[in-house]
Amino acid sequence: MSEQQQQSGAWIALKIILVVVGSTAMYTHIGQLVPQKEVLAPTTIEIKKDATPDELADIGKGISEGKGLCMTCHTIGKSGALRFPDLGGIASIAETRIAEMDSLTYLANSIYHPDDFIVPGFTKGMPAINKAPIGLTDDEIISVLAYLQSLGGNPTVTLDLTPADLGVE
Amino acid sequence: MKPNKFILVVLAVLLIVGVVAGVRGVTWFVQNEEFRAPQRVEIGAADATPRETGLADEQAALDEKNKALEYTPKAYRQIGGVSSRVIVWMLAQLHLLFAAFVLAVPMFALIIEFIGYRNGDKRYDKLAYEFTKLLSVSFSMTATFGAFLLFMLVLLYPQFMQYLMHVFSPTFLPYVLLFFLEAVFLYSYYYGWGKFSPKVHLFLGLMLNLVGTAIMLIANAWLTFMTSPNGISETGAVISTWEAVHNYTWMPINIHRIIANVAFGGSIAGAYAAFKFLTARTDEERAHYDWMGYIGQFVAISAFLPLPFAGYWLASEIYAYSQTLGLQMMGGAFSWLFIIQAALIGNLFLAANYYLWLGMGRVEGVTHYQKIIKYLLIVIGLCFAVWATPRSIISTVSEIRAMGGASHPMLGYLGVMSAKNTAVNLLILSTFMSFLLYRRTGKEATHPLRRMLNAVQFSVFALSAAIVIFFGIYGYFVEAAVRIKFSIPQVGSVLVAMVLITVLDVILFRKAKETSPMRWGKINPISQYVLIFIAISFTWLMGLMGYVRAGLRQHWHVFGVIRDNSVDAFTPTLGYATKIVSLTVLIFFALIGVVFWLASLSGKPNYETDAS
Repeated sequence: MSEQQQQSGAWIALKIILVVVGSTAMYTHIGQLVPQKEVLAPTTIEIKKDATPDELADIGKGISEGKGLCMTCHTIGKSGALRFPDLGGIASIAETRIAEMDSLTYLANSIYHPDDFIVPGFTKGMPAINKAPIGLTDDEIISVLAYLQSLGGNPTVTLDLTPADLGVE
Repeated sequence: MKPNKFILVVLAVLLIVGVVAGVRGVTWFVQNEEFRAPQRVEIGAADATPRETGLADEQAALDEKNKALEYTPKAYRQIGGVSSRVIVWMLAQLHLLFAAFVLAVPMFALIIEFIGYRNGDKRYDKLAYEFTKLLSVSFSMTATFGAFLLFMLVLLYPQFMQYLMHVFSPTFLPYVLLFFLEAVFLYSYYYGWGKFSPKVHLFLGLMLNLVGTAIMLIANAWLTFMTSPNGISETGAVISTWEAVHNYTWMPINIHRIIANVAFGGSIAGAYAAFKFLTARTDEERAHYDWMGYIGQFVAISAFLPLPFAGYWLASEIYAYSQTLGLQMMGGAFSWLFIIQAALIGNLFLAANYYLWLGMGRVEGVTHYQKIIKYLLIVIGLCFAVWATPRSIISTVSEIRAMGGASHPMLGYLGVMSAKNTAVNLLILSTFMSFLLYRRTGKEATHPLRRMLNAVQFSVFALSAAIVIFFGIYGYFVEAAVRIKFSIPQVGSVLVAMVLITVLDVILFRKAKETSPMRWGKINPISQYVLIFIAISFTWLMGLMGYVRAGLRQHWHVFGVIRDNSVDAFTPTLGYATKIVSLTVLIFFALIGVVFWLASLSGKPNYETDAS
């Protein structure tokens, strides 16, 4: 009589249940070992109208790392094989990107119309972040612009500026 | 008649689960329905109105209030304290698991039946019927969970469902008609076994597959639209229903699901065979179910090998639709999920190779091939380790300072896509090689050009591995836009190598001499638990990838169009998600156990015969 024949149905069933429960428990455990982060739905950030450019830059940094998702693709101070252009010193670099276009206008247009100018060596892909699904408000975008100006320059923008004031059509 | 101990064990488990659920339910009821803060009033302040008058006044006031009620449509509802998302999540997953099984089994049952029809070997016909026996109960389960899911969606997400109906109402009637046809073809295929001419029966099987696939295509349109909406205006108005159906991720999901369903269905059928093998009473039964388990496993792994390539296509279409979605998937909230996926797939490859290695024991005198397996195991182990290496490591502040960042100075290089693509392609090649070695056990090629054909096979294999490694290393020196395209030659070389080597192998072993016969049933019983483990891993993997596909939308019902404003509009932790996946998998296996048991009843003697 073989080994299988000697084993009762209940014993086999128990072993099968142990394999099922044990394997599932193992995978559940693996799931607990990775970083645990709960991602909340973004909300509109209230920015006081009289915020200074430096205050806006601080707010913009938070937006670029969070709701704006900028830092998912862009880096600051890195070189080599990058997904999207590095933003280190972007305030001064932006001056040189398009002839006769100042830094702020270039940055604002890059945000509102990201496909209009693609930095050589990179491909299209950045979404218009004033539209869904990211959907930053104009005030939030001004804050991001203030932050970008602070990278290699000094922030100058304030919330009284409109997209048209920034040279965005 | 003796009570069946297996049934008693299953009933005991179900009883325990029922008792726990009952206690939980009663606890919840007591906590939520009892007065939490008892109302007490001073005796002197008590109302002196006669009780009956007071009750009548209260009823009259209530009637007035009810008359004044206004209808306000609700965007969301909840059942008790249970998360609506979890209810829908688990029901959708259970529906999909049964649906995947019901769609997959007829595919390989038909192929096996056709092989039997062509070569006249009755064993194939019997095997195909054995697979088909699992279908009828599973079909009922699929329909039940589908209806349950629909009711829950309408109940819990009425506004969102109204929108989906607005977009997809033209697809509903064809769906119902196809479902009706599916029932007709499925039951005529099952109950008509041996009752029709083989050609008519094969035709029924073919129609069953075509109708089943068409049903899946329609359902896929609904869910892929939610991820990559198309054919609508910025505010969600329908411009073209066909464009809504034919959205960016529709066809990649269709292809991915067909392949994944076959892999999953094969693994579940393999688990059924394992269950039958372990409980078999005769050598003949064991031989049959060992063979069935092998076929189920062969189907599962054959479909599993090209699955990553379908996954690449799906991922690239997600990127093409929205970089935001793509980056959330691979670099944002879900990036660590793919480390869990790597652990699962690594386990699947290891288990599949272990099963093949154990399967060599069916043939005497195969130590020559078994020796080679350990080298393949080293390659598989290394590839597994590379694939499971995360880009960034969870570390303390001092460790981050010591490493100069969240990435390890050396291991960090293994966490990027170049290394992972290389690892998975080498994993596939190694498993393919393992299968080839298994196929050769107990055979000796007699082809006059066998030396040359063997050399060509080896060269193709080596060249493919070299191409994979070359592009893997080169990927570190180019930009992302160029690097992402390297997966095409890597995948292409592996696919071409597998096809070419298989064709050469068929030629080489066409009239091979059998040196040792295949002794079906003579295999270590551990192999059967490996088959069950593979089925669990596939099921869990389906659950995990189902979560990322749906979870990717994050706080959107329809990405970028219909925002989720419910209390569940957040992405839970991966730990929480994996618990839900596990719970779903356990429920599925409890139910599939019932399916196995019901399917096995048909082979039992009648009650009267048994009693006499």
